[in-house]
Amino acid sequence: MQSKSAKDSVESSTNMTEYYKHLSLFWTDIIHLMSSKPQALTSIGPMRAFAANSKKISVELIEINENLLGFNQYITEYYKQLSEVWGVAQKKVNQKAPKIPQDVEQIEAVKRIWIDIFDNDFTELFDSKKFGENYGNLVSKELELTKHWNNITNVILQSVNLPSKEEVDEVYKEIHSLKKRVSKLELELKKEKRKNAK
Amino acid sequence: MQNESAIDPKIIEEILKFSKNVIDAPKFVSAPDEISLEVTPHKVVQEIDKTRLLHYKPIIETKHKTPLLISYALINRYHILDIHPEKSWVRNLLEQGFEVYMLDWGTPTSMDKYLDFDDYVNGYLESSVEHIKNQSSTEQISLQGYCTGATIATAYTALHPENVKNYIATAPVIDGWKDTTVISNLAKHMDADKMVEIIGNMPPEFMYYCFSVLKPFEQGIEKYVKFFKNIDDKKYVDNFLRVEKWLGDTPPIPGELFKQWIKDIYQENLLIQNKMHVGDELIDLKKIDMPMFTQVAVGDHLVSPECSMPLHYAVGSEDKTLKIYPTGHVGMIASSLSQKKVLPEMGTWLAERS
Repeated sequence: MQSKSAKDSVESSTNMTEYYKHLSLFWTDIIHLMSSKPQALTSIGPMRAFAANSKKISVELIEINENLLGFNQYITEYYKQLSEVWGVAQKKVNQKAPKIPQDVEQIEAVKRIWIDIFDNDFTELFDSKKFGENYGNLVSKELELTKHWNNITNVILQSVNLPSKEEVDEVYKEIHSLKKRVSKLELELKKEKRKNAK
Repeated sequence: MQNESAIDPKIIEEILKFSKNVIDAPKFVSAPDEISLEVTPHKVVQEIDKTRLLHYKPIIETKHKTPLLISYALINRYHILDIHPEKSWVRNLLEQGFEVYMLDWGTPTSMDKYLDFDDYVNGYLESSVEHIKNQSSTEQISLQGYCTGATIATAYTALHPENVKNYIATAPVIDGWKDTTVISNLAKHMDADKMVEIIGNMPPEFMYYCFSVLKPFEQGIEKYVKFFKNIDDKKYVDNFLRVEKWLGDTPPIPGELFKQWIKDIYQENLLIQNKMHVGDELIDLKKIDMPMFTQVAVGDHLVSPECSMPLHYAVGSEDKTLKIYPTGHVGMIASSLSQKKVLPEMGTWLAERS
């Protein structure tokens, strides 16, 4: 159950994000519209492209902030899980080796106990469903952040007349398909040659 | 007062010795970059895209007619099978009189993100088999697959049984739902589509993360403490650095291949159910009807025995052997146990059928 103050805090944070999103979109849209008419007369385009690109980048930046909220939630949970297991494992070590080691052999023995307990407890955590799910969500949010960064880079690449990631991907796909067809033909040819040589 | 007198002077001595070892280490030990991992002499007999087919130079006269092709894993490089002259899988097989080939998958780049199972099974592996058949004038080869390389080799053997005389599966990744390792837990919760769409290939950093969660304290701390403690033991240090260098060389995995891997093997578990497709063809494990030898390790924390063993029961072969060894994933292929037990048993089995 979420407390009332936590709920209020989430709502206020969402409202704040929505407010800044609206504010940013309002100004970028207005600038874009304002620049589109009078500047079209005096410029040959770059300013309009600049305004459109600024809008795209602003939208990406706003969405990055939204993703960061989710990312922070999962990364907090990630470190919470690790620190909880650390605490429990340390208690187990303290129970098994309550005395401060006095000689080299005792230090070795305590170290062995420490490593065995920590490895076992952490492996149990990494094997658990709750860790797997949270880690999967964390990676997923990290990927979404990367996607926004990719999108911003694409806007910049296109503004300097370089191909975007999608355009490069299309070329990769085409090359892959061509190579595959050539390899299959070469392999068939090899087999045919062998058959004929017999 | 009692505490002061209770401190063992040996503790101080140990700390001083350890500090000295850390300081002196660079004087005695080569940097990992200075070590070459290519131990046994070989020729590159075929190159397709980034893959290379290696043919090892015989050490003694070849005693067995059927050549052996090794399909190494996609994680890390093939060097672990030839890591040190005394622990080399390849060298041991050459000493037993086998003709040995190795398929090096190479290091894919962003351009290779569309390579899929079909390219690996019906492209690179099939071309290698055809090349060996041409070179050795045989109609069939023996095929060994290790780890994820065994998954590719299994798919190949099921699709082209006429080319494979004997099949050896070493720690194969087969039944994803039965896999009890940490890796499978992470794989089951991964959005592979999103990763491939946004990043392209599976980045090495992700594999390093996976390695870091495997016995993090033994492997992340104790291993390095032992290394500095044994800095004057040349044999230990040499072996340690070779394995470390190998561990640090993880190539990316092509995006499409990785996606199919995670979804078909770990999430939907299609291979063992005979529902997995490679290209347009369905993989039916019952079509693996040649002699088959499966090797698993009880202490394998990368591919659990429960994940590998179902292959033994799923194939159509009547002549099949399952061996279980008291070691781990790497111990099975690069240790004194592999030299004294795993390889001699495999060699005897293979020699009788080659």
